[in-house]
Amino acid sequence: MLTSYDRERYDRQMIIQGFGREGQEKLKRAKVFIAGVGGLGCAVAIYLIAAGVGRIRIADHGVVELSNLNRQILYWDDDIGKDKVDSAVEKLKQLNHQVEVEMVKGTIDESSISKLVAGFDLIIDAMDNLPTRYLLNQAALENNTPLFHGAVQGLEGRAMTVIPGQTACLRCVYHRKLPQTKVPVLGATPAIIGSVQATEVIKYIVGIGKLLTNRLLVYNGLSMKFTEFRVKLDPDCEHCGQLAGGRS
Amino acid sequence: MSVKVNINQDLQQYAAKQEVVEVGGSTVGQCIADLVQQFPDLKPELFGKDGELLEYIEIYVNMESAYPEEMAKPVSDGDEISIIQMIFGG
Repeated sequence: MLTSYDRERYDRQMIIQGFGREGQEKLKRAKVFIAGVGGLGCAVAIYLIAAGVGRIRIADHGVVELSNLNRQILYWDDDIGKDKVDSAVEKLKQLNHQVEVEMVKGTIDESSISKLVAGFDLIIDAMDNLPTRYLLNQAALENNTPLFHGAVQGLEGRAMTVIPGQTACLRCVYHRKLPQTKVPVLGATPAIIGSVQATEVIKYIVGIGKLLTNRLLVYNGLSMKFTEFRVKLDPDCEHCGQLAGGRS
Repeated sequence: MSVKVNINQDLQQYAAKQEVVEVGGSTVGQCIADLVQQFPDLKPELFGKDGELLEYIEIYVNMESAYPEEMAKPVSDGDEISIIQMIFGG
């Protein structure tokens, strides 16, 4: 139930066609898990919390470093050396005191993933490495929970939305493994891709628009182009092939 | 036979900063061989020492994934090949 505060605070988005009070109430009831609070996670968290998503859990094991500050906009000079989750929650609660923000300091791995995503409606992939992204993909498929993928490098970005058993999953699209290297990133790049992810999440919750499913969005900041590649669910996918086959 | 190859942002430095290159060939493999002949600096960026496509290179034909057996995929006049690199940063 929306309060008079909610109705005023979220007025400009509630008057979007198809959104309304009902959409805002859906946002207020939603529970979203954000994996990682680096460049992407900062952007996604800010826009979901500003939009009034009811409950958000964010997991990250990192400590704020000086080299993070060009892109991880929840951390400022005075935060260097603090745990990212502590520093982030301090800002996010000031942004919107009504949203329930839960921070979990720890590594997302095979031993922690099930507990981290349990009870949450949606999973945001804002990680910085492929193995953990694949873990999130598997957790999303096992829990039948939509996954919102984003990745960045330099002035490039990717985004895609996964509806388990219905649309291509991350493993249907990324077939191989990657060497872990130091990644160059301009701060505006995760802001753009994180905003795409947040938009997808809000559209999914409210039930408006067309999701970025079976489409890999590729952003090229140097030429300022967005390109869309068609992807499809792979019946032989090692993550979702069996799931999709079982449901068809 | 003319096929366009769209080159990923990070790879353009090895192709005289070109975003799109015209090549010839009836398969993806032949087209990429032509591309590498035009821009030899691209070869180590696309292929390993074993001659196989590098793990983080993805090939799309007419905006659809060419995986698996990308290099054998047939192409026709006017088709577009896109070479993109997997990225994972957050």
